Amino acid sequence: MTMLPGIQRMSEFEWQVPVGYVPGMRVPGLFFLSESLAGTLEEGAVTQLANVATMPGIVRQSLAMPDIHWGYGFPIGGVAAFSRDEGVISPGGVGFDINCGVRLLAIPLREAELGKRRELVERLFAAIPTGVGGKSALRLSNRELDRMLLEGASWAVSEGYGIDEDTRVCEQEGCMKEADPAAVSQKARQRGMPQSGTLGSGNHFLEVQVVREVYHPEAARAFGISSGQVCIMIHCGSRGLGHQVCTDHLRTLEAATKKYRITLPDRQLACAPIDSPEGRAYFGAMAASANYAWANRQVIMHYTRKVLEELYGVAYKDMHMVYDVAHNVAKMEEHVVGGTKLKVCVHRKGATRAFGPGAPDLPAAYSSVGQPVIIPGSMGSPSFLLHGTSGAMEKTFGSTCHGAGRVMSRTQAKKRLTGKEIRDTLGKEGIIVKAPSDAAIADEAPEVYKPSIEVVRVVHEVGISRLVARLEPLGVIKG
Amino acid sequence: MSIEELDHTADAKIRVKAGTLEDLFSEAGRALMQVMYGRPGKDGRTYPLAVRGDDLESLMHAYLSELLFITEVEGLVISGADLRIGEGFVEGVVRGEPFSMEAHNAGRGVKGISYSGLSIVHDQESYILDVIFDV
Repeated sequence: MTMLPGIQRMSEFEWQVPVGYVPGMRVPGLFFLSESLAGTLEEGAVTQLANVATMPGIVRQSLAMPDIHWGYGFPIGGVAAFSRDEGVISPGGVGFDINCGVRLLAIPLREAELGKRRELVERLFAAIPTGVGGKSALRLSNRELDRMLLEGASWAVSEGYGIDEDTRVCEQEGCMKEADPAAVSQKARQRGMPQSGTLGSGNHFLEVQVVREVYHPEAARAFGISSGQVCIMIHCGSRGLGHQVCTDHLRTLEAATKKYRITLPDRQLACAPIDSPEGRAYFGAMAASANYAWANRQVIMHYTRKVLEELYGVAYKDMHMVYDVAHNVAKMEEHVVGGTKLKVCVHRKGATRAFGPGAPDLPAAYSSVGQPVIIPGSMGSPSFLLHGTSGAMEKTFGSTCHGAGRVMSRTQAKKRLTGKEIRDTLGKEGIIVKAPSDAAIADEAPEVYKPSIEVVRVVHEVGISRLVARLEPLGVIKG
Repeated sequence: MSIEELDHTADAKIRVKAGTLEDLFSEAGRALMQVMYGRPGKDGRTYPLAVRGDDLESLMHAYLSELLFITEVEGLVISGADLRIGEGFVEGVVRGEPFSMEAHNAGRGVKGISYSGLSIVHDQESYILDVIFDV
């Protein structure tokens, strides 16, 4: 087994990056990885994990999940909590795609009842705008956009894009109350208005899946899914609006970093004290972008339900939403640190909240089990449903992994496989893929990611979330 | 002048070399288009641009971020730029053609320009830019 030098093994899956790995670290780094994933670890990702540990007010450790990889600012898979009194907030700990996230919709159909699969994929592709040129059918005024930014998923429901139950099974009920539309620039609005209700491009997708195996029947029952059931998984974020918010506030926070005399090893970690004008403005704009993303996924889920209703005669209200998780976000939460309850700002960048049983902000039906944790696989590979645990509350500020994590660059991926080859291979496995171009498929081949099963095995073994079910793809639409 | 895509696991890492700063900015814009659309655009339309920054890196960051905005909102696939670069500012016009699904390979979104790994080095002969696009 190969592990990078300077890293200490703490237990089978826990590895510590000691203070001193880079200058100025205030706390150690800690990441979770199995021996078989150790070879995928990049030195750049560990340096980024250590860089986060230099930021003011960081509490306990700079953390990374087993899907850790080299990003910008924080590593992907990075989690850090900052004291509300002495800590900072940084767009480098959230990323450009604010509230990129995943939602799962359970369909009252068995796999055998799902005929017309190619037609289903074609109709979903036609109904949901995808890719760079994908334009929304919604025509929003500035005032309506303000409501969307303030109210999130419930705005979409009030406009007829869903039912009241949907928002109840959404992280934070699909709305961060701290949203401040005034902190969202005109440029961000211009980008966001024509894109609401669109999937986007890159690794974003909508997948038709089947629950292939249930590992935890009691939790699966609570979440309303069973073996052989058809589900739909939606993975997308806050589109150009969120990207522009990150870009705009990166600039103001860079100036703030100098103003507050904060020394940082990476400009992408630009930050400000949480309770400073600059920090508050970023948090308000970020929360508004998170709400935009929840509304976005709500609208896409509505289009999906309409297609299924028309094609299979399934009643709209019988397609129940399992949950919706954010995996690029900063949130104000309370966690127990050293036996004391502490108010912190938890940054999760490519990491999922995994609150355990009895934690706040859980729907009553899930309170005894813990929140559903939805982990999308890469295109063509399995996805997983897990539940949050008390172990996550103790070890990771209630956080777990978010996906598989890339292991191969896009330049390498393109040299190896063409989009058509990948589409044909997946087709032979019974997985129908529809994308605006073959280039989009080549970028996201299953081989370019870590095996998703190994990533979730680690979080399951460490106990920061526990496996409930495995879902396998039947059809994919990509942006 | 040259544009090279380097290996980066998650994102698109680009190296651009040019003899002058003006060419470096123009080529960097073409590199962004290459990542997004498979190739830069062709001349046709123009669009004005002016950005500010404290140093060369933040100017480049602001310039490329502005191109992202222009390409997304105006639907312009940029072919190059005629720029004036001074102390803390870049201004001028960008040139390009309207986006089309067929001509531009359906496009691939770039979410943002990363400050991580953004560097501009000037040696005897040329300027060298390294930059990471979040894709």
